[in-house]
Amino acid sequence: MKILWDEMSIEVNKQKLLTDKLILQMTQERFNNRIRSISIPETIGSIFCFAIAFYILVNFNKLDTWYFLASGIYTVAYFLVIPILVLMAIKKMKKVNFGNNNFKQTLLDFAKGKNQFFFVQKISLYLSAGLIVTSLILAGKILSDKDIFMENGTVWFWYIPLMVTFLFFFSSWGLKHYRNKAKQAENLLKDLENEENN
Amino acid sequence: MQKQNEFIEIIKQNEGIIFKVTLVYSSNKEEQKDLYQEIVYQLWKSFDSFRNESKMSTWLYRIALNTSITHLKNEKRNGNRVSIDKILLNMSDQNDTLIEERVKVLYDHIKELNTIEKGIILLYLEGKNYDDISIITGFSTTNVGTRLARIKQKLKAQIIK
Repeated sequence: MKILWDEMSIEVNKQKLLTDKLILQMTQERFNNRIRSISIPETIGSIFCFAIAFYILVNFNKLDTWYFLASGIYTVAYFLVIPILVLMAIKKMKKVNFGNNNFKQTLLDFAKGKNQFFFVQKISLYLSAGLIVTSLILAGKILSDKDIFMENGTVWFWYIPLMVTFLFFFSSWGLKHYRNKAKQAENLLKDLENEENN
Repeated sequence: MQKQNEFIEIIKQNEGIIFKVTLVYSSNKEEQKDLYQEIVYQLWKSFDSFRNESKMSTWLYRIALNTSITHLKNEKRNGNRVSIDKILLNMSDQNDTLIEERVKVLYDHIKELNTIEKGIILLYLEGKNYDDISIITGFSTTNVGTRLARIKQKLKAQIIK
């Protein structure tokens, strides 16, 4: 195996294909891409959530019953806290120090960051079930000053089954995805933490 | 300017190492290209830390491995890449087909190992001794030995299968 690797290394080392220009381009392109890729999706998502929270807060005086108030508080808390937690978890993962950390420390930091991120995602998925109900209640009240509990409309009959079905499929897919990813990170952590026992 | 030239020289001298690391930690050409570029970028970013303290090969392997394990697979928001197709996976133009075939088999087996094992076997195959591997990875020398023995057994079992 080692002989084969050495033979291959000789061949690979013969290939001098990188030019000065190409190396500089690589660092520059990556730097530009990084600025674009980090800022745009997370910023747009957070702005969207904060805007909804802000809109509800501005209309908070319209929420005149206990269930409107409870829905308002729940929704505002969701749209303020979840994006902050997600951004913090992402920041933690990206903060891994490549230059000073060794391989083991990097793996540990990254696996811990990933675990935290998956935990936040899982929580937000559970909380989104409540959001489905509160957002309907709030939308009716704030946008058209209607109390959905007092109306004789059929909205509950189609909205709730539709949303429950959607949530069921969405959450089973989402939780399965997070469970697998979290398990991988968990196994890695276990392996690293048991190191000295070997 | 001097820093830039120094960096370019180091990358050119060690492009083979970066190539081998990217091949172990990626599952297709696209991923490999992306990882290659990310490693060069991270090396440039931490170039000062190398100039101030560590040994060149320790620094290079450390950054390359750290980047590989934290690099998000299938990341679709990377934007443009510099065209480095020529560098990657073009060994067939110059190589003996038999060696190429055997190298491919070896890589396929290494790719089946987990993240930690891939890093350790790569360093071992690169000729690093237990102490060097310990410095780069952060595992104790004894643990490196234990892990290596286990990896070799695993690879042997895979190859026999």
